Amino acid sequence: MQDELADDDFQVIAVAIDEATDEVRVLADGITYPVLMDPDHLLTELYAISNVPAVVWIDENGRIARPNANEFGTDMFSEFTGRTREGHFDQIRAWVHQGVVPDDASSEIADLDEDELAARLHFRLAAHLRRAGDEAGAAHHFDAAARLAPLDFTVVRAAMPLRGESPFGEEFFKLLEEYQEAGSPFHGITPVPSAQ
Amino acid sequence: MTSITVLGDEVATASGEWVDGRPLIEPEGLPAAIGWTLKPEGLCRDDQCVPVRDRSVIEVGDKVDVAAAASGLDRPTLVDPDTNTVVVGQPNATRRAALLDRQAPDFTLADLDGVDRSLSDYAGKRRLLVAFSSW
Repeated sequence: MQDELADDDFQVIAVAIDEATDEVRVLADGITYPVLMDPDHLLTELYAISNVPAVVWIDENGRIARPNANEFGTDMFSEFTGRTREGHFDQIRAWVHQGVVPDDASSEIADLDEDELAARLHFRLAAHLRRAGDEAGAAHHFDAAARLAPLDFTVVRAAMPLRGESPFGEEFFKLLEEYQEAGSPFHGITPVPSAQ
Repeated sequence: MTSITVLGDEVATASGEWVDGRPLIEPEGLPAAIGWTLKPEGLCRDDQCVPVRDRSVIEVGDKVDVAAAASGLDRPTLVDPDTNTVVVGQPNATRRAALLDRQAPDFTLADLDGVDRSLSDYAGKRRLLVAFSSW
């Protein structure tokens, strides 16, 4: 997408809500656009991001043309979402070439509530303490964060590898089940299935 | 006196003490901690000043409550005397400008080569911001 639209004043900027630089480097292999590291989850505060992937369309004047949307860069989950990567890419082409945005671009994104905000601060403290070698202090604040925002993936799932748990293990499937039972409360747009 | 860590836009340490669970720091440490200075006209940065309604909330003796100062700037805070740390979140107004007024907040983060890059480096282009992770 970046290569195709590079001449059209279009820029992809990827931000890893992550501190595992080596793992991100593997994912970013061969990618030509900037890949930034966000170990303190700055974007989850600024843009009210609660799960990944989340894409935001930002126009040439710095205005958000389409807010947080749960768009995937692969078709690995298309069977479940009914949404294809190409469906998203077609919409981006229409935006870049004709200035057309999809109907869901006017969706309003709920603000973070007090607990979700506090959870982000506890997460930041926990991540800081962990880097400083205070495992017990980190665990205490990862727990506090998870209690405040139990269905926020950037809080709960992001902590899993930092606590020595697998982000694809039992804890994750428990989280996923609770998240789906709660109606998948993503701060943003869940795209409609792509037209066939 | 002790050293209080402030996790704000940067990680800063300030000389101060805890009094009744409040993080009181030397006023000289405030700019490094939250980017603003306490002056007679209020909390100031560059040529901008935010008036402080009740100075006694922020000023305690010859010290400054760094969490109260951050709150006065509409930033969420977390105070943790156990680890000698104060966490200062991003201004609520910045996030609300994104959600309600569609103003994309600028940010600066290091890329995989350690080079700082900002959203505004690509001003004038249509940008696709992609948040992802390895987890």
